[in-house]
Amino acid sequence: MDLFFQLLANGLVTGTFYALSALGLTLVFGLMRVVNFAHGELYVIGGLLGWALTAVLGWNYFLTLFVVILALGVGGYLIDQVLIARVRGQGEEPTILLTIGLSIFIANTALLIVGTTPVTVASPFASKPLFLGPVVITQARLMLVAVCAVLIAGANLLIQKTTLGRAMRATFQDAMAAQLVGIRTAHIYGITFALGAMLAGAAGMLLGSIYVVEPTIGGVISLKAFVVVILGGMGSFAGAIVGGLILGIAEALWGGYVATGYVDAIGFALVILTLLVRPYGLFSKRAERA
Amino acid sequence: MQLGRSLFTGLLGLTLTGAAAYADDTVKIGVIQPLTGSVAYNGTTDVNGIKLALSEINAKGGVLGKKVELVVEDGQCQPANSVNAAEKLIQRDKVVGLIGAFCSSATLAIMPVAQSNKIPFITGVSSAPSLTEKGNPWFFRATETDALLAKSFAGILVHQLKLKKVAYIGVNDDFGRGSVEEFEKQMTALGATTVMKEYFEHGTTDFYTLLTKLKASGADGAFVSAETQDGSTFVKQKAELGLDTKVFGVGSWATADFMKLAGTAANGIYAAVPYASTMKTPKNDAFVKAYEEQYKVAPGKYSAAGYNTLHILVDAIARAGSTDPDKVREALHKTNYEGPNGHFEFDDKGQATGFTVVLVQLENGVPNVTASNTIEH
Repeated sequence: MDLFFQLLANGLVTGTFYALSALGLTLVFGLMRVVNFAHGELYVIGGLLGWALTAVLGWNYFLTLFVVILALGVGGYLIDQVLIARVRGQGEEPTILLTIGLSIFIANTALLIVGTTPVTVASPFASKPLFLGPVVITQARLMLVAVCAVLIAGANLLIQKTTLGRAMRATFQDAMAAQLVGIRTAHIYGITFALGAMLAGAAGMLLGSIYVVEPTIGGVISLKAFVVVILGGMGSFAGAIVGGLILGIAEALWGGYVATGYVDAIGFALVILTLLVRPYGLFSKRAERA
Repeated sequence: MQLGRSLFTGLLGLTLTGAAAYADDTVKIGVIQPLTGSVAYNGTTDVNGIKLALSEINAKGGVLGKKVELVVEDGQCQPANSVNAAEKLIQRDKVVGLIGAFCSSATLAIMPVAQSNKIPFITGVSSAPSLTEKGNPWFFRATETDALLAKSFAGILVHQLKLKKVAYIGVNDDFGRGSVEEFEKQMTALGATTVMKEYFEHGTTDFYTLLTKLKASGADGAFVSAETQDGSTFVKQKAELGLDTKVFGVGSWATADFMKLAGTAANGIYAAVPYASTMKTPKNDAFVKAYEEQYKVAPGKYSAAGYNTLHILVDAIARAGSTDPDKVREALHKTNYEGPNGHFEFDDKGQATGFTVVLVQLENGVPNVTASNTIEH
């Protein structure tokens, strides 16, 4: 039974991390209908920038997190205005090609600058074991789960409660009508993509402090994020969280009781099952454009 | 203007090297390593070793009165890409020898290409025992196989480290599965029992599930085959969970980057490696010094592998007195090379023997050699 609790705890923690890594992807897809294949690479930029500032320059962890989020926000806004704006309204394929190209460009540029050596973000939190009854966890992981929860809640509040969030949702529902009531839709698209990039970068920086970051891991990150998003429903915040937790727990239990060798297959088996039973995901409201 | 000029100089340089190639002024060696993908870091380390050997060779005037030139291609450890790279190097660059291709599966795919084009092909990394059993006369392996390593260290593990209940953990590819199988076979023969056998994917970030299982298995020692990235994450998270199971690793464990990534969690870990920067051999001090000067980090297993392969190949070309493939192959069979990790010669199948493999214990960033063994057939 102790084994079960430990596995469950492991699954909940990784599930939260999966949810955070997938949030930016689901946001950009849900609001903009842009399938961002460069999502994993934005995560990598966040991780590498976090490493450069904390481990190389010795900056404070939270200051770095703030700078990383800010930098990714500006970068994301520029990517949208300079690149994605050019193919806006031309269907999904051009943006898919564009973001795939962008992902290759970012990964190889990072490879050129940072090299292939894996790096970690310097974290102020202890990685010593904490024993909570039968379950072992570290302070660093507990803190990260809390920070993840704050970021997820913050992003959700921004979209549901603020004028900006309402403008974002209005633009998604009907861009023409949004323009008619005075929303600068081009600007809103930029901000939405920036928000997605900020979440990806924050995930990279936070997870880079307990795992390793290297320029070529973007693909794996994107792949897991896609699994989470399809499980939970494209564009759904609650879906990303539940999808992440399901994936984390399923992987932990499968790995714990069956075999760890094929654990990556679990996510995709779940995706196939979801597509067969609920093709719109667990939480999606079958949102179709007017 | 400045830009225009440097561009012009660059282009001029390119044309000149192009012309030089046609004039046959250099001896071209093709290198295929993974420079992108999940083992890119390890492949790059290998190329760094090769480049160090190159600068040494060219500083001494090259070979056959010509400079040696490297053409490096990214095989990504994928059989298909590695074959493409090999075809390109042979057909277009006209290389006289090949070095590569890291992963055994990729190396295996290149072997028939080397054979049909009659190009000597050396690997310093691929360790699947079957490669040298293919009867390919153009293939040489300047490193240990999983079987030879297992034979060398199984006894030490069982008798000296007193591992009775062993958990086997490996990366889910030919290297991981191969070494787990070999070590399990050898250690079981010596009386150890297997309590767990699990694999994980390259690039796994979270080992908590695997470690939870390891804890529950009651093993007193874990055999882990993994590369720097996965291995360092594994030992770090093992310390996070407060597990004190002894860990014994194969792969690129005794590298400076491994110990930097794992930090204090690496203390006490045992690793069996064909090279450690702390090895005491006549050639090693100079090698470590030169490598640290160039790359600001101590050389690891793959740095030495790359370094050895180019030296062995160029040495054979020098003794052959020409780049004629048959003569180079003959000369390779008569190899008598002294590397940082000992002496290398090849048997009839192209498998190197005579060099040293060591068991190290990591302590505060230093791999201390606790036992060493010469690979014999």
